[in-house]
Amino acid sequence: MLQLQTYLLLLLTGIMWGGVYLLMASGLNLIYGVMKVVNLAHGDFIVVAGLLAVSLYGAFRAGPALAIPVATLLFLLVGGLIYRGLLARVETTAPQGELRTLLITFGLSSIISNIALLIWGGQYQSVPFFQSAVHLGALFFPESLLVSSLLAFALAFAVQLWLTRTRSGRLVRATAQSELGAASCGLNTGRIRLLTFALGAAMAGAAGALTVVLIPVQAASGGFMTVQAFTLIALGGLGNYLGALLAAILLGVIEVSSSYFLGASAASAVIYVIFILVLIVRPQGLLGQRGRI
Amino acid sequence: MRQRHFRLTFPARRATRLFKQAGAWLIFGVAAVAGVLIALFGNGDQAQLLFSTCLFVVLAYAWNIISGLSGYVSFGQVGFFGIGAYVAATCQIAWQWDWYLAALGAVLAAVVLALPLGTVMLRLQGIFFALGMFGLSHIGALIATSTPLVGGSMGEPVPIVGSTQETALVMLVCAVGSVLLTAWLLRSPLGLRLLALRDDEKAAEASGVNTNASKVVAFCLSAGLAALAGALYVWNVGFIDPGSAFNNTYELQTILMVLFGGIGTLWGPLLGAVVISLISNALWAQFPQQQQIILGALILIAVIWMPGGLVSLFQRFGWLRRHPVWGPPPMIEAEAPRALFPAAVSSTGEPALRCEEITRRFGGLTALKRVNLEARSGQIAAVIGPNGAGKTTLFNLITGFDRCNGGTIRFGETLLNRLAPYRIARAGIARTFQTCRPFPSLTAWETLLLPALAAGLSKEEAIRAATQMLERLALREQWDASPEGLPPGQLRFLEIGRALMLRPRVLLLDEVMAGMSPEEIHLVHALLREAVAAGCAVVAIEHVVPAIMPIADHVYVLDFGTTIAQGRPDEVLRNPAVIEAYLGTGEEAPVNA
Repeated sequence: MLQLQTYLLLLLTGIMWGGVYLLMASGLNLIYGVMKVVNLAHGDFIVVAGLLAVSLYGAFRAGPALAIPVATLLFLLVGGLIYRGLLARVETTAPQGELRTLLITFGLSSIISNIALLIWGGQYQSVPFFQSAVHLGALFFPESLLVSSLLAFALAFAVQLWLTRTRSGRLVRATAQSELGAASCGLNTGRIRLLTFALGAAMAGAAGALTVVLIPVQAASGGFMTVQAFTLIALGGLGNYLGALLAAILLGVIEVSSSYFLGASAASAVIYVIFILVLIVRPQGLLGQRGRI
Repeated sequence: MRQRHFRLTFPARRATRLFKQAGAWLIFGVAAVAGVLIALFGNGDQAQLLFSTCLFVVLAYAWNIISGLSGYVSFGQVGFFGIGAYVAATCQIAWQWDWYLAALGAVLAAVVLALPLGTVMLRLQGIFFALGMFGLSHIGALIATSTPLVGGSMGEPVPIVGSTQETALVMLVCAVGSVLLTAWLLRSPLGLRLLALRDDEKAAEASGVNTNASKVVAFCLSAGLAALAGALYVWNVGFIDPGSAFNNTYELQTILMVLFGGIGTLWGPLLGAVVISLISNALWAQFPQQQQIILGALILIAVIWMPGGLVSLFQRFGWLRRHPVWGPPPMIEAEAPRALFPAAVSSTGEPALRCEEITRRFGGLTALKRVNLEARSGQIAAVIGPNGAGKTTLFNLITGFDRCNGGTIRFGETLLNRLAPYRIARAGIARTFQTCRPFPSLTAWETLLLPALAAGLSKEEAIRAATQMLERLALREQWDASPEGLPPGQLRFLEIGRALMLRPRVLLLDEVMAGMSPEEIHLVHALLREAVAAGCAVVAIEHVVPAIMPIADHVYVLDFGTTIAQGRPDEVLRNPAVIEAYLGTGEEAPVNA
């Protein structure tokens, strides 16, 4: 009986963590889906938003309710500027274009994480919000995890609705599926790419400001978070939303159970192992072509 | 007139280029001697700066071999630096090996490890490979942190430490060695294969290049060089810890140096490594905390505004250009021209290639349905049909670029269904592609040498065969032209020549005569007649029906993946089904073709 309860707890906690990971990866997924750019600075966006939330908490005792809108707006702007100033200057479709955009975000990641190091120092920091435990029958969960995962699933659902049900979402999907086709139908694909990158960055900002209540961050955590997010979207099939949801839940459960059974340091190695196995065995993702943006 | 002009300028141009190449080597030699003097007579700081500069030169060339020459950008090559450092440290701590034995052990260990890793990882493309290597190097760092064997996460001193001057001198020798290694690679068949697969992996396979093996060799060379740097690093600092062995900053700096100098070139990594080392050394003294921010910003600048690197600034004036391999083509005396095709092994009319009942489905679409095709030696078979009939799919199946869902493809007695494309090409089935797939990095001359070497000719034979082919295709004057500079007709000839250099028994031509002028078609016809006379079996896909009908012996008409008619050209053209497929019955709306 106790065994069963443990497994149930692991499963539910895993699903919740999956939601959090999905939130942390959805910006990356959107940007890759539309622009075919892997934003290696994605994790650093999350970290900076988290550290910003820490500062806001330190200054005004303000929680995620303030930090999330501030970080979202800030990164909407930052994302737009990065696209205009840097990425728009490199043709993705040109030979080595993909590589060059990758290198740009690689350089960007180094710049952002080191600026964060100068501002916030290298200690792990967190926002002490939602610290109680929530009881569900005989099981109990940290409130921070519950809140984060609920918001995460809500946001993922909202993005899905936006992509499939609204006019601007349809334009974005059209650009994702064939940029040339979309352009020849008269869409301003440059603006759609700008919008996409800004939105993806904003999603990273929102994710960072929220998840800092759950995951302590320091200036250099970004690289790991990028790998984690990329693992998730690669497992789901790059740019595939349904696949990402499935992959998030799978990864959450694997991570939670491996840290329960093997210990925390082994769990962080597991993610890299899964990452490489996914790349080798199933580069097209769990669902392949189905469920693509 | 044109001939005279050519004779006058051709040797002169060559001489100036040779002179400039020699100039680059002269500067390099002077710099190396200066380095030796610094190592011997300089103070400790200068020697240390020399050591770290040379360390980065070696790392930059290591990265350049896999990411520049073969085009597989890796974000984890510094992992091999870490492995080299750890193996060397272990050898010194556990077994008290001398530094050079430890370094040798480190290089061997890295190569042995790189062999299986490369075999698996190099199946990945583009970003997947780059990020996969990033993940691997993180796993390496995690293992190093968690094993108590050598210091664990805190690190441990290494017993044998060289003096700064001594280590700097050895590192300098390694740096010079890595430049020489790259120079040799660029002049070797392996380098030719790497450049070809960087440009177009499929076309390289079709030219008989075992792309997987070439990539893995490059990967192992790169890993060995990086490990050598790691081993010498341990010898220099006398300490080993995960943070500095698997240091992401090194990765970042190395990539920046190569990009800054010029990726995939001979001198770019050297130029970049020296310039960036000196800059970051100055930065480190002034702004230790902002150093990485500035390096990141330099990457942005290099990628966006200087995609060709520093070297491209010189290249604009024709300086530092890569020297064509074993060029120029020698003048050949009036000797008997080498046969383009192997002597006929079977009498004319024997089936050389036989496709039986082959089927290929893409999801719900059946691209080919139980298609039969026979190519007889000494005959030309034409495959015609409307767009989307499955003609190119048929060629892809025969040459191994795609796999059948059913049916068999036999070449003589050999079953081709599961053979790799390069094996099929080497066995004697050559193809051209519907849209030309040239190698932009190779000259016309090298494009012809590549398949000749892949087919197993010796260097001298390959040079002779490629020279003759240049003559045949009337491309001799353009021997060192980049394919991008050739007009479309000559590009097409180059592509045919590339296929013929495999000395094929079966030649598959995919719409080679589309868009050709009557004179060019005439030249193709002459080549095909020669092929047939030598017993080669030709299968030609054509859209321009009048271009192929006069020389075809047998015609297959494909429509919607099935053979709707076959037989002698005149019979087929009268066949009502064929007329319907091409012109419609007049009762339905015309299909957009």
